[in-house]
Amino acid sequence: MNPEQWQRINRLYHSALEREPARRGAFLDEACGGDESVRREVESLIAAKEKAGSFIESPAYEVAAEMLVGDQKQSLGGGSISHYKIIKLLGVGGMGEVYLAHDNSLGRQIALKILPAYFMKDDDRVRRFKREARAVSTLNHPNIITIHEIGEAQGKHFIATEYIEGETLRQYVAAREMKLPALLDIAVQVADALASAHEAGITHRDIKPENIMVRRRDGYTKVLDFGLAKLTEPQSTSAGLEAPTKTLLKTEPGMVMGTALYMSPEQARGLAVDARTDMWSLGAVLYEMVARRAPFDGASTSEILVSVLEKDPPPLARYSRGVPAELERIATKGLRKDRDQRYQLMKDLVLDLKSLKARLEFEAEMERSASPEIGPAATPPEGVVVAQPAVKTTIQAAVPTSNVGYVVGKIKRHKLGMIAVVAAVVMAIATYAYFSYFSTRGNAAISSVAVLPFVNVSNDPDAEYLSDGISGNLINSLSQLPQLKVIARGSSSRYKGQEIDAPEVARKLGVQALVTGRVVRRGDMLRIEVELVDARENRHLWGDQYNPRNEDLLQVQAEISRVIANKLRLHLTTGEQQQLAKHETVDVQAYDLFLKGRSSWDKGRTEDAKKAVEYFERAIAIDPNYAPAYAELSHCYSDLVSGSILDPKEFTPKAEAAARKALELDEGLAEAHLAYGRIRLYAWDWAGAERELKRVLELNPNLSAAHALYAFYLGLVGQHEQGIAMIKRARELDPLSINANYGVAFQLSLAHQYDQPIEALKRSLELDPNNPLVSRLLGDIYLAKGMYAEAIGAYQEVIKLGGDSPGTQIYLGAAYAKSGMREQAQAILRRLEISERYISPGELVVLYVALGEREKAFASLERAYAAHDSQLMFLGVDPSFDPLRSDPRFKDITRRVGLTP
Amino acid sequence: MTIPSPSTGEVTQLLVAWGDGSQAALDQLMPLVHDELRRLAHRYMRRERPGHTLQTSALVDEAYLKLIDQKRVHWKNRTHFFAISAQLMRRILVDHARSHHYAKRGGGAGKVSLDEAMIVSPERGADLMALDEALTSLAEIDPRKSEIVEMRFFGGLSVEETAEALKLSPRTVMREWSMAKAWLYRALSHES
Repeated sequence: MNPEQWQRINRLYHSALEREPARRGAFLDEACGGDESVRREVESLIAAKEKAGSFIESPAYEVAAEMLVGDQKQSLGGGSISHYKIIKLLGVGGMGEVYLAHDNSLGRQIALKILPAYFMKDDDRVRRFKREARAVSTLNHPNIITIHEIGEAQGKHFIATEYIEGETLRQYVAAREMKLPALLDIAVQVADALASAHEAGITHRDIKPENIMVRRRDGYTKVLDFGLAKLTEPQSTSAGLEAPTKTLLKTEPGMVMGTALYMSPEQARGLAVDARTDMWSLGAVLYEMVARRAPFDGASTSEILVSVLEKDPPPLARYSRGVPAELERIATKGLRKDRDQRYQLMKDLVLDLKSLKARLEFEAEMERSASPEIGPAATPPEGVVVAQPAVKTTIQAAVPTSNVGYVVGKIKRHKLGMIAVVAAVVMAIATYAYFSYFSTRGNAAISSVAVLPFVNVSNDPDAEYLSDGISGNLINSLSQLPQLKVIARGSSSRYKGQEIDAPEVARKLGVQALVTGRVVRRGDMLRIEVELVDARENRHLWGDQYNPRNEDLLQVQAEISRVIANKLRLHLTTGEQQQLAKHETVDVQAYDLFLKGRSSWDKGRTEDAKKAVEYFERAIAIDPNYAPAYAELSHCYSDLVSGSILDPKEFTPKAEAAARKALELDEGLAEAHLAYGRIRLYAWDWAGAERELKRVLELNPNLSAAHALYAFYLGLVGQHEQGIAMIKRARELDPLSINANYGVAFQLSLAHQYDQPIEALKRSLELDPNNPLVSRLLGDIYLAKGMYAEAIGAYQEVIKLGGDSPGTQIYLGAAYAKSGMREQAQAILRRLEISERYISPGELVVLYVALGEREKAFASLERAYAAHDSQLMFLGVDPSFDPLRSDPRFKDITRRVGLTP
Repeated sequence: MTIPSPSTGEVTQLLVAWGDGSQAALDQLMPLVHDELRRLAHRYMRRERPGHTLQTSALVDEAYLKLIDQKRVHWKNRTHFFAISAQLMRRILVDHARSHHYAKRGGGAGKVSLDEAMIVSPERGADLMALDEALTSLAEIDPRKSEIVEMRFFGGLSVEETAEALKLSPRTVMREWSMAKAWLYRALSHES
């Protein structure tokens, strides 16, 4: 077509369209003047236009996002289907993708299998499959996976089943050196499941190691995907002797090599299947578990099928020493080409397998008692994960019975060893996942993390302390890693009970990763689910769930910390690893009370703090060697003393005793040093305080409270630059705490920098106008700056907000005095002098100075010294004392307090 | 701690360079814009309920704001950016479809689902590739039509915006669009 023609077509196309459809023919007859090719072209374009409808009318990338997101092979990552929220992709197979998902309506984790659309085309098959799947599910057999729902939503067909924290049989066997009884145990469970299904008239059709899940922690086995093969297998034909390759060509996508390995001769021929088909497949699986190779092998699917149809499998003894003759017989009988010669009933296979297993165990027991020289040192204990060499032939799976005997004994004696094994397995998986993940992505290590409060999904609000406690403990434990910034509990806890938008939260907290979790407690059952998200890309890094028994709770928490550290790609020293693995061995009840205490204290009100004291005291009563409880108790006392709630004379020594006790029990406990450092600081033991605070930060570089106290110390001794840097670090670690900005402002005021804090405090007041602390500091700063009217206003605000204390009155009085309102100042002084309350003589000095009563001021200073008044800590920095500074008496008392005048 | 993001200056420069005819600039621009769009797409996917379509202009606007140094690019360039982003989007989506082995059905351009909006999904990746090929053929006989389709379908531009970018009247754009659509529809359905 030349350009002129094309131009003509263009013109005619538009002209024709401007006419009534009925008249277009006539128009074109005339306009085309016999050029049939032009006419055809125009007519066909007009016809296409009529049909095109909204074709390409919506821009491509209205839907492009789905495609772009699908890039990461997690087309559903983060999404939802029906009421299931996708957590992560577990695997992809011929039958579709399987996701770990959360069932929002029932609050449980489930496995969600998304079936490829092309399996679901044949309505009839889909209906039969569903019927069968439901029928199997109603059997409620412990070894058959429970199907929660088969459904369709958003155009996707899915099957929601219970989620097994485990591996496929293939992975499970490949990762372990398994003893024969353990292998038989799995086979018995599978056979038992099949027997039950067969009795209900249901054939599985696709038994293979990928369809058998083994729970990691105990080898508990579940059979998956009953009848699913029905959706994919070729319709059975009567052409019994058809060449296998021909049959295979007819299969649809989803038919994979792996399936051929376990396919019975009748399936290979495309004949109808029955229960005895499962018998064959299970025989093949059993054979492979023992021999570590499939009974029928081949380089291609057709070779495998030829082998299935024509060859006899090599005897098991060829691949594995010491295979009992009985096992050889069982396997051979399952793999007879003629199904009439196989076990006719799965029940019979179950019986044979069980009795073989019992016999092996018995023989082993006899052997063990007869050969006491096989000691624990000689053989690795049962369950130790032995990495399997890649070369199949070197593997010796079925072991001599002497070993089996040892193992049986060990199982009985060392049940507890299993816990260590589970930990080892978790570590191995974590390490593997970490390597495979980071080797494919050149992502930088994550250096900051926030652990958000775990959600209590129990119906029991009382379990709140437990979910808070567990996340709190994770914070503590991760905080010990110097290369990791961990946000303090105070700031993380702001997100309690909130919908989390990970990138947003991470930005506010200044971290790269978030840990979230859920805790379910029902009666004695406890489940902890943890998830780690790389917030930079909103990408799930890791998730797991734990079902600890109460007494294992601490161990599981330590484990979670370790996995997280690994996931964050932190290179831990051996010492750090040990530190993470460390956990107090504590009475469950005491630990419970401890968590309750901390939860109560976190609430921040006076009565909560008092309650917390009670909890900690009760925890100590149960476990008198519980160091963290002493440390927290000391903090509580100190808080209540400095808030003038408790009598310092009685409770300062108590706080000190508790801190000392905590240190005595655990020198490595950061909180204990912090508690003690606080005591030292208030005792004017400056060097001692600094020593303790340095130690705290060595032990826990992320403890924001320690940074804050250290900053306070530095400010008091006049090291302002370091103090300001330190308080800013505290704020970074605890960015959302109410005190974060206040702390910085306070620190700056210690350094006599006023303008910045005034602005900051005013902003704080806009957000939280009812905080008397903020107004009080603002007043103090105005007073120091000589802005007396503003100072008076601020102090009056404090009083209005319920912060009326002798201290506030004293400073208000000083502001009055300085602004020339001596009478008001005198009135305050008189009231204070006759007050029944404890008036800090150190603070009273401020009012005397403001009124110019120098001698009274010094007398009050001496009284303060004698009473060890905490106000004297400020001698070096409070500008209210400035008029006294040049006096030798002031220098003397400053020295006595331990500060440099 | 913020998400590493291409510096806005870099994109602006590349855009200008590409506008001046540098293909190398386009090659550098592609991954930057691709990453940004993907990141945005991720965010939208999380925020939106599944099944909801994205607000096209929101996606591109946000990419634009993020990538372009506003102070240095004249406001007029915004249209230019949309035109360019249309080309980028085409390349990105088609490359994506290709790299993800959305096998073209039946060998050639194949059977294409010509419903409503060409929905992009694993099956539709093939449609997208077919459309891309057809659009290239159209460009050979009528580059302006091909450009208009690119801007409207891949770039999400309205008729007015397309008109502005190509310095045409909206009416002309509408007429060209109508015929281009018919041509493409026929091209894609022919081969089925």
